[in-house]
Amino acid sequence: MIGLSRYRQPTGERLRSPGVLFWRRFKTNQAALWSLRFLALLALIALLSDFLANDKPLYARYEGHTYFPVLLEYGEKLGLASWPEGLTADRWRTLEYDRVLWPPIPYAANTLDNANMNYRSPFGAQRVPSWRYRHWLGTDKIGRDVAAGMIAGARIALLVGFIAMSIAASLGIFLGLIAGYYGDRGFQRSRAWLLVVVLSLPLALFWMVVAIRGAWQQTFGDFYLLMGASLLVGLLAVAWLLYQALSLWPFWRKKIILPLDTLVMRLIEIFQSIPTLLLLLGTVAVLSRPSVYYVMIIIGLLSWPTLARFVRAEVLKIRRLNYVEAARALGYSDRRVLWRHVLPNALTPVFIALAFGFAGAVLLEAFLSFLGIGVAAEQVTWGQLLQMSRNSFSAWWLAIFPGLAIFSTVLAFNLLGEGLSNALDPER
Amino acid sequence: MMWFLLKRLLWFVPTLFIVSLLAFGLSKMAPGDPVEAYYSSASSLQGGTRIDLETQEALYAETARKLDLHLPPFYVQLRSAAYPDTLYRMLHRERRRAVRRLIAQYGNWPAIQEYYRKAKGQYLKSDQLPDSLRAVLLPQWRRLLQADSPGQIRSRLRKMKNSLPPGAAEDIQSGLQGVAAAWQVVADNPKPQLLYVPRLSWLGWNNQYHRWISGFLRGDFGVSLVDGRPVQNKIWDALKWTLTLNLAALFLAFGLSIPLGVFSARFRGYKRDRLLSLVLLFFYALPSFWVATLCLVFFTSPEYGMDWFPTLGPSSFRELGDHFFGRLLRLAWHLTLPIFCLTYGALALITRQLRGSMVEALRQDFIRTARAKGLPEARVLWHHAFRNALFPLITLLANVLPALLAGSVVIEFIFNIYGMGTLTVQSIFAKDWPVVYAVLVITALLTVLGIFLADLLYAWADPRVKYTSP
Repeated sequence: MIGLSRYRQPTGERLRSPGVLFWRRFKTNQAALWSLRFLALLALIALLSDFLANDKPLYARYEGHTYFPVLLEYGEKLGLASWPEGLTADRWRTLEYDRVLWPPIPYAANTLDNANMNYRSPFGAQRVPSWRYRHWLGTDKIGRDVAAGMIAGARIALLVGFIAMSIAASLGIFLGLIAGYYGDRGFQRSRAWLLVVVLSLPLALFWMVVAIRGAWQQTFGDFYLLMGASLLVGLLAVAWLLYQALSLWPFWRKKIILPLDTLVMRLIEIFQSIPTLLLLLGTVAVLSRPSVYYVMIIIGLLSWPTLARFVRAEVLKIRRLNYVEAARALGYSDRRVLWRHVLPNALTPVFIALAFGFAGAVLLEAFLSFLGIGVAAEQVTWGQLLQMSRNSFSAWWLAIFPGLAIFSTVLAFNLLGEGLSNALDPER
Repeated sequence: MMWFLLKRLLWFVPTLFIVSLLAFGLSKMAPGDPVEAYYSSASSLQGGTRIDLETQEALYAETARKLDLHLPPFYVQLRSAAYPDTLYRMLHRERRRAVRRLIAQYGNWPAIQEYYRKAKGQYLKSDQLPDSLRAVLLPQWRRLLQADSPGQIRSRLRKMKNSLPPGAAEDIQSGLQGVAAAWQVVADNPKPQLLYVPRLSWLGWNNQYHRWISGFLRGDFGVSLVDGRPVQNKIWDALKWTLTLNLAALFLAFGLSIPLGVFSARFRGYKRDRLLSLVLLFFYALPSFWVATLCLVFFTSPEYGMDWFPTLGPSSFRELGDHFFGRLLRLAWHLTLPIFCLTYGALALITRQLRGSMVEALRQDFIRTARAKGLPEARVLWHHAFRNALFPLITLLANVLPALLAGSVVIEFIFNIYGMGTLTVQSIFAKDWPVVYAVLVITALLTVLGIFLADLLYAWADPRVKYTSP
């Protein structure tokens, strides 16, 4: 106990964890710090977008009753509440209230202000009852408020980045992890295991497809789901039995080495030599019902290779470290070593790749909605707002503001990524 | 070395195979009936005369044959035993889709086949009816053939029964009843369990994919559904513009970024370096389609008093005039903005990378030695450091090429230049799938070639690289 003070550093400063040191280095980078603040603000705007720009009041006193229409709308969408008698969703805009509190921007992204159609400039004359209803960033051709559109666009942009990166991260981390950890020689399974997997995996997939497709068509929906589920359970049992039976023969017990690293790297190579943008265009164009959510999923499915590369490189380093060796020497299973010891330490570079990937996803979505491919026409996004400026060159506000939003978001993510990688590796 | 490159080339085969599979599969899933698109583009020239249904169906089949749609789609097929192997012979896309959906629900193909045959017979027969009755029944039958859910089918049959005039001919009534009865058989005897029996079947070499890919390898990419022109001609016309744009942008980007990168590395940490880095970072993050839109809005319209460049792109090389210099000048007038928009991003990327590797190179011992020898700074920079910093530039060349191609999609679209990008986007809007997926495969090919080129250049630039397997 007496010797404890020796563990303090000579300067008297206490030993800091790597996380604290990382944060300290990061904090010295002003650009990255401000990017982080900007992105936090943007996330806040995206989260609260319904309270910032809405064509319903936040609070209203009408004919002796008190309403919270914005909250009510959430309830209505979730099926928890319904609109009061005679007050349907589209009526709130025109009512005469006793007392009312409007959101800062009293328009939703899709509200059509018929009095201000045909591109009203932010600085020009607008036909509004008072400054409270002014379109601060102008309107578009059909009278939608651009400021409200920008706020809705922020939500979409961040959602695209978030969902796409979640998909890309889960795929990329998994593949990078197994490729880096097992390498070309580490993954050994018996012949019986391989045979059973090769036989049963396609069958399971096939049945899943049949069951899901049948369940969609409602005629015998329950039958399909039940049949599919019971078949899958049966398959599992049969596969296990088969595996046990085969394992009785020494021939089937013989181990085979699967070169996981090579397989994953080839897959990455293939994905990286496909032109992402054109594949995205070609895939999105096929969808019969365009939706920004499909776009998110497809972007995610296309952008995992970079992450997998990062993780693999990191795991290659980590798996030679002493504590991993120690964990293995203690006889822990591969799964435990991977999840508890390797993965947490391999995650730092993932954050860097995620920051850059986020920027890329935001850009791709803006690009697609700019072209008007794959994103539903009524969805207001930054790219779609920008696109509208091409129809009327006089509407400069449609060219400036959405583009500025895309630019600053992409820049902030890039600066953040840069800051993270500098803080991680100050030598560079 | 040769061996490595050969191996590398071989590795591109699976990549291209997968890309071709993806492109083909997507083109099959794409919405819209190719036969109708092609047929309407071809027949719009002849003027509309009314033709009877039999001929219409025959024409449809003939067009489908012309587009190879009468062949099985792929070599093998994995599907439920409930589906017949020969479903692809049903040429009409929408009806095939409807039948496939029916099978996916009921699983009893023989009964469905019977129902479908009867309904189709009635459909063809209703063309012979007197005009008033024909106008009522024909569209109903047509829609019935495309109906894919029991509810739809039942309501169509009921509607038809109700719309029959009381004195309708005997055979129409009995025909309708026959179809309804056949449908009842389908609905009463479902065999959904059959759907869970998988079946793998071999459909032969003579299939759509085989024809498509072997045509592709011969340089025949099929015909456009919009105007019936060979796809390769359309792509070739567009490729000229894309290559002009991209090569110009590539030369400019590399030509400018090499001196900039070396300069910035030389003055690392100075104010001018930091300023340049900041500017380049901004350039890097500036989305090119925003810059292009801004350029378009402000510099090509009289709205803001800066109408300096044309709004529309040049339509063909020939239109630019006869005189060589006049042509060049006019081309430059058209392409200045697009090339600028393509260049600045690549410029930023290349300069940043080069700066990094130059800084690395300038730290090396041999640079100190060179300086200690009293060599002039320029020689140290260009001869000793730059040659060692070339490496990442080569990798970049492989990366920049596809990036430029992709970037030029939107730049061309914005500035109305009829290159590959505009062609792709317009073809997507027009549902002209053969063009879209040919472009996808060709771009993948170009990307792969770029990577291969980078490998070659690597070996050339750095004699230490010996491509032998360890």
